[in-house]
Amino acid sequence: MSLDAVVAYVVERLPELWLRTGEHLMLTGCSTLAAMFIGVPIGILLFRATWLRGLLMGVIGILQTIPSLAMLVFLLALLKKIGVLPALIALTVYALLPIARNTLTGLEEVSSEIMEAAQGIGMQEYQQLLMVRIPLAAPMIVAGIRTAAVVGVGIATLSAFIGAGGLGQFINRGLALANTNLILLGAIPAALLALVVDFSIGAFEWGVRPKRKRDKKGSLQWLMRRLAFMLPVALVLISITAYFTKPGWVLQSATQLKTGHKIIRIATKNFTEQLILGEIMAQLIETKTDLNVERRFNLGGTMICHSALVNGEIDLYAEYTGTGLTAILKHPVISDPEEALSRVTKAYHERFDVQWLKPFGFNNTYAITVRKADAKKNHWNRISDLGNTAIKLRAGFTAEFAERPDGYPGLRRIYGFRFGEVRDFDPALMYEAVAQKEVDVICAFATDGRIAAYHLKPLKDDRNFFPPYHAAPVIREEILKTHPELGDVLSLSGGLIDNATMQRLNFEVDGKKRRTAEVVEEFLKAKGIL
Amino acid sequence: MIKLTRVFKTFDGGSSYAVKDLSLTVDVGETLVLLGSSGCGKTTTLKMINRLIEPTQGIIEVGGKNVMDHNPVDLRRQIGYVFQGIGLFPHMTIEQNVEIVPRLLGWSIRSRRERMQELLEIVGLPAESFAQRFPDELSGGQQQRVGVARALAANPAYLLMDEPFGALDALTREALQQELLTLKNQLKKTIVFVTHDLHEALLIGDRIAILHEGNLEQIGTKEDILDTPATQFVQDLFTIKRQGTLI
Repeated sequence: MSLDAVVAYVVERLPELWLRTGEHLMLTGCSTLAAMFIGVPIGILLFRATWLRGLLMGVIGILQTIPSLAMLVFLLALLKKIGVLPALIALTVYALLPIARNTLTGLEEVSSEIMEAAQGIGMQEYQQLLMVRIPLAAPMIVAGIRTAAVVGVGIATLSAFIGAGGLGQFINRGLALANTNLILLGAIPAALLALVVDFSIGAFEWGVRPKRKRDKKGSLQWLMRRLAFMLPVALVLISITAYFTKPGWVLQSATQLKTGHKIIRIATKNFTEQLILGEIMAQLIETKTDLNVERRFNLGGTMICHSALVNGEIDLYAEYTGTGLTAILKHPVISDPEEALSRVTKAYHERFDVQWLKPFGFNNTYAITVRKADAKKNHWNRISDLGNTAIKLRAGFTAEFAERPDGYPGLRRIYGFRFGEVRDFDPALMYEAVAQKEVDVICAFATDGRIAAYHLKPLKDDRNFFPPYHAAPVIREEILKTHPELGDVLSLSGGLIDNATMQRLNFEVDGKKRRTAEVVEEFLKAKGIL
Repeated sequence: MIKLTRVFKTFDGGSSYAVKDLSLTVDVGETLVLLGSSGCGKTTTLKMINRLIEPTQGIIEVGGKNVMDHNPVDLRRQIGYVFQGIGLFPHMTIEQNVEIVPRLLGWSIRSRRERMQELLEIVGLPAESFAQRFPDELSGGQQQRVGVARALAANPAYLLMDEPFGALDALTREALQQELLTLKNQLKKTIVFVTHDLHEALLIGDRIAILHEGNLEQIGTKEDILDTPATQFVQDLFTIKRQGTLI
């Protein structure tokens, strides 16, 4: 990309960049502040109560080692909420350790000579702590807060997985679309932000250090100290402004909001096809009804979308019959598409008050896929053909496929073989991995545009193991009842897309790096719907 | 008046004693020097007077009242203390360091300020150029002057000084010793002064108590001790001193 193109690319996304940066700062700032108010008292408590030290530091240490994503998903299950709250809690927990530990160390390191003087001149215990020990430990405590804030900027990028926004949103979307530019659009500002946060807290520390006599009032040094002191405050103010004033120019890329009308919240999982389906539903609703749409795209997987829907955090997303049946309902595989659909429709209605609408048409089942050249050389056509050689092959699966009953565990049982090595991949990286010969077998999606683009060959499921995966909108019945027009509008997409069309749409976005909204609009216009 | 009656202190449950059966009296307005080498129990004795350390056995009276009947915090606020390692608070200005005890006692800002200026004047550090500085901007001698000013701030009747000049170079030490002599005559405080320096003890003390391994070897005026040493230890101490110097 030339420099001009880069500038244009960034300028075009500036409103959203502003918004996401604000969200990111907000997440980091609020969680660091919360961790300060919890961590510093914990540090002081531990200093006083020696017997608690091992236990409490152990617990905080263990919390720290929980992988960030696992922590987010766990909190999601616990709070039954997506969005900012679980993200804030997770970030606060991670920030606790450095702050509490530095507070404790700082308090311990105050020289005993000075403390004896404090006692000797007649300070009460609390006065010794407040007037001498804590002020002298302050630089160490601030250093802990600084570490926590900088680490927090990094971890906050993961908040996008549960719909909390932030710069991670770009990274997430970039991963979903295999779009390096988008990834960098999130990663570079996040890295810069970490530097800015580090610098501003450093400046703050310098600014509040007891001022020396040589700082004449009104001198440059004096002025700089005041400015330095204000830096973190300014940063927080900016983030609040960015977070709460979502000015018109920020939202222009979405659509003009029709004031006074209900907002329908549409979610998607984090891969291209889901983004396309989400965009199709969004554009249909925006053009054919009075309702507004909020796009809460790119949530981190089936369970997150489903629990968000059931808890009323979102109203609508596209689910697959096979996924609903096995992953959500824990029901055995049903090979007949009609029966599968009627089964999920019935069960969702009874258990979740959620309605399955008319499927889009294509069947995005898993396809065990290998490189075309390998298939030709080894005469692989059906999955059964892998039988004897499977143990020598390296497989790359999505994390979901590796665990789901209709994924690898079931495949092993039905076909009676296993692969020599199984590695987990992000859906977007899996195709790259097989093309680069890092793995030999992947669990591709039948509608993925990259199957053709990377010269891959899906093997025939000769034992009918994979259940049908017909995608359809799933919507909360409450919303459908208050806005019956949604059912009519969304049914326009029923049977609209066959496997070949879906592959093509996916490739337009994945392979040709075109914008989802543009591809969808073009497609709907061609079909005469818009 | 400070009075110790048969005071014992052990830190290890009785296997050894840092202070053994110590009885002595410091009269009002008198300066008593506790002299001895390190480990003789002189600092322990000093700290027992303001309850930084509590005696294992025996009675310590300050102003006629057993220190164990005092609230330790109130007791310490009535006794000025100059610490061995100076012990100024590095995060406070000279002004804040000097007026800390009046502040703890709840004096008004104005009387605190006046007292601070007066004291800095007394110890030879004019407030206008020193009040706003921090301890690490001062030389060792200046810091210890501030230490003395801090100990005097609330105008206590008693002053405990724990080797206050030990860490200073010889020239500064001598200057400060002379200043202390002047100060002492001017202020009429009851002072207990700990040192291991014979010369300093002879210069400053109205009376001198010589401690050795927790025992009081002798207590008396300079003349008493030089003329009639009570024990072999005291005699040796001054013989060595005489051979080495002109005293």
